[in-house]
Amino acid sequence: MPVGLSVDGALGYPSPSRPFRPSRYVPVSAATAFLVGASTLFLCFTCPWLAERFSSSIPLYNVVVFLFTLANFCMATFMDPGIFPRAEEDEDKEDDFRAPLYKTVEVRGIQVRMKWCSTCRFYRPPRCSHCSVCDNCVEEFDHHCPWVNNCIGRRNYRYFFLFLLSLTTHIMNVFGFSLLYILHHTKHLDQVDSGVTMAVMCVSGLFFVPVAGLTGFHIVLVARGRTTNEQVTGKFRGGVNPFTHGCLKNIAHVLCGSQAPRYLGRLRKPHSVEVQPPFLRPPLSEAQLEAKAVDNGIQQSKSSLEIMESQSTDADPPPPPKPEHRYPGMPHTQNEECSLLTEAPPTPSLYKYRPSYSSPGKNHTASTHSSKMSRGNSMTESPSVPVTTGQPSYRSDPSLSSRGGAGCRGGGEGGKAGSGGLGGASTFGGRSYPSFTDTLLQSAAASCSSSLRSAHTAHNALGPLISEGTTSTSYKSLANQTRNGSLSYESLLTHSESPEFESAAHELSPPRPHPPHSLSTAAGAPPISGYTSPFLSAQQREGSLQACPAPLRPSPNRAFLRPTSSPPSRAPPLSPRARSLGSPPPGPAPGHTPLGKSLSYAGGAELQHRPSSSGGGTPMQNNTVSFFLQPMATLLSLEFLYTPSIFLFFFLLCSLSLRSSAFFCPPLLLPCGHKDDSVSVLSSTIKQNVANHNTPSHKPVGGVKKVTGVGGTTYGISV
Amino acid sequence: MATEFHNLQELRHSASLATKVFIQRDYSDGTICKFQTKFPAELDSRIERSLFEETVKTLNCCYAEAEKIGGQSYLEGCLACATAYIVFLCMETRYEKILKKISMYIQEQNEKIYAPRGLLLTDPIERGMRVIEISIFEDSGSTSSSSTGSPSSGTAQ
Repeated sequence: MPVGLSVDGALGYPSPSRPFRPSRYVPVSAATAFLVGASTLFLCFTCPWLAERFSSSIPLYNVVVFLFTLANFCMATFMDPGIFPRAEEDEDKEDDFRAPLYKTVEVRGIQVRMKWCSTCRFYRPPRCSHCSVCDNCVEEFDHHCPWVNNCIGRRNYRYFFLFLLSLTTHIMNVFGFSLLYILHHTKHLDQVDSGVTMAVMCVSGLFFVPVAGLTGFHIVLVARGRTTNEQVTGKFRGGVNPFTHGCLKNIAHVLCGSQAPRYLGRLRKPHSVEVQPPFLRPPLSEAQLEAKAVDNGIQQSKSSLEIMESQSTDADPPPPPKPEHRYPGMPHTQNEECSLLTEAPPTPSLYKYRPSYSSPGKNHTASTHSSKMSRGNSMTESPSVPVTTGQPSYRSDPSLSSRGGAGCRGGGEGGKAGSGGLGGASTFGGRSYPSFTDTLLQSAAASCSSSLRSAHTAHNALGPLISEGTTSTSYKSLANQTRNGSLSYESLLTHSESPEFESAAHELSPPRPHPPHSLSTAAGAPPISGYTSPFLSAQQREGSLQACPAPLRPSPNRAFLRPTSSPPSRAPPLSPRARSLGSPPPGPAPGHTPLGKSLSYAGGAELQHRPSSSGGGTPMQNNTVSFFLQPMATLLSLEFLYTPSIFLFFFLLCSLSLRSSAFFCPPLLLPCGHKDDSVSVLSSTIKQNVANHNTPSHKPVGGVKKVTGVGGTTYGISV
Repeated sequence: MATEFHNLQELRHSASLATKVFIQRDYSDGTICKFQTKFPAELDSRIERSLFEETVKTLNCCYAEAEKIGGQSYLEGCLACATAYIVFLCMETRYEKILKKISMYIQEQNEKIYAPRGLLLTDPIERGMRVIEISIFEDSGSTSSSSTGSPSSGTAQ
């Protein structure tokens, strides 16, 4: 897989080619030069004497280790990390402006948020993150490594890990045998061989500390079943990692798992199956027949309702009850909105096969509302259509829905284009993707309620405005900073992209010419609580890290709604509340949350990078841990620089921070995390808290300390 | 005879793509590849629930088999390490073999079950294993009576 370039012509949506940036190849070139150069010199100048003096197996051993290191290095560099192809337009059914920014799924009893990726046009699966350097969503994203100039993800993490292990071994070998040579040639140090050996020894000694530190860090990650992304964003600081299977199984998964397939660059076989009418139809049940007979085609039939409800019974119990938020008159249908309450996202479906993106539409504001209704109605009507009309056609309102959709999408496109004009928002080739600078545009967009999903919300003020009075930024329309998801160590301070923690993403983005966005903005206030995560603002989430989980908003479902396209009349009343929700409070509000969270890792470095980020201080939820983690994150960001002393410091701090967080799992002992038996306790506790809390302040419930992870998952820790 | 020919054309029906349904992933067991077996409402009048569920369950089993960590995957990894991963150029991995099996299964299901019902499954690998796409076709009625009217079947690409 080509390094750093998205693959065009891959199946589905081709990703745009990115501009060639030679600076990205400097670290990987340097790493290659050092590795190959130093090893070659060692093999040529030192090994002959070793073979002669001791045994010829020593050079052979060194060659084998070197080749193994090189092979893993090449695999880590060139292998597709697990890039998701862009979703095709027809999959993107969310021209529905109600489409939420986040979807919550339950992973082994723990609520995990999936964020909408505006670049790739789908909800990012758990553990997936969007790398801004590569401009791709990567499966099980670990980080973007500048030394191999590639993302490390599901497919190549094993090679990266083996590369670190083998490189550490190789460095130790080279250093050790070079030292042996020097000790036997103390009186011949003026010779060329000795000089070269000394130089090789210095280089290997210099690189040993940071490499060993990083290796140790990844050994701990593998043992605990975490990715670098999850570790540095503190997703599981509360202690419950739904993706771990125990130490041994985690290690087995990394080292012994089968090679995952790539998604890009596959040959797409055209369907050879001919679909031709007449079509078979399943026999209708008696209940369906009866219901349809009395169905007037407007209301959903009772039987279909029952069917739909029975489908939902398969789901786990829904999150805490939310006030009725649906538009008046809309029946309770198993639409996407409803199913968001259940454990898994609904089965999305297109109403009508959607045409390609239309030109920016200005008339969506009027149409969206009506399309909202029509879409809902249509969905309920569909089951009854075949009966009443005898035709197997969906009686939708294509004009409205498609217009609304097109309008929304067009609006989004318009927004995108506008944003591009605003300030070079797009840094990605020819694509006019909105970016931070879109915030200005979004202000305008809020009033016109264009397709917010495509617009990027840089500033929180916008998100809340759009929210219909619900949680500010839980709307795909506000999706934005997600593109800045690269988790190279240097960017960890500035930007971290994670499924549940996209709100922090923009906070952490690398320094840009544009003014940074305040935290709470867009992601503005992505709701925090893991069990009801989309509803809580960033501020709440931040506060919840202190103690209790962030309170739930009264209408959590609203959080899923995309307010924007709402008629202009709606906007004004919402804005003040929204603003209060989303706008970053001046000073030490808990809001800067995601940033705050990551700041606990990034610490001062982050603040240095983003001086105006979210205004005001970033509260550290866990001062003790953050005290250690700040420098650690600083060090992580300096992976690029990689000085030995810094990494030694980093490694020590990492150990200390792990100990202080009570999750330290020494590689040898490998207790491997917490038991997950507290999950059920947590869920009941969380639900209780969620139902009770209505304010951003969080107070510890007696006996149980609520900690909300960055990703929105909330854990209770007995104190 | 020309008249007959035109009449036949007029009588010919064609299928047109009406909508698409996307079966999402089921993450309740973690990040393993598993799709929801929840029956979408849009297919309610198009296919029997049992057939649909059987298809999805079979696919889930295949993916679980592909991702199983066992002796074969371990040996494959060891062999790859021993050959400096050159073996990947020559040999197909276990996962790829199972993906081919899945692809054939989906084609068979399309031919036997889904196409006769005006549906078409798309291999999830084409969508990055995020969704199973089911295209729903509708009978667009007879073609026009123009002499050049060519019947178009709903062969999806």
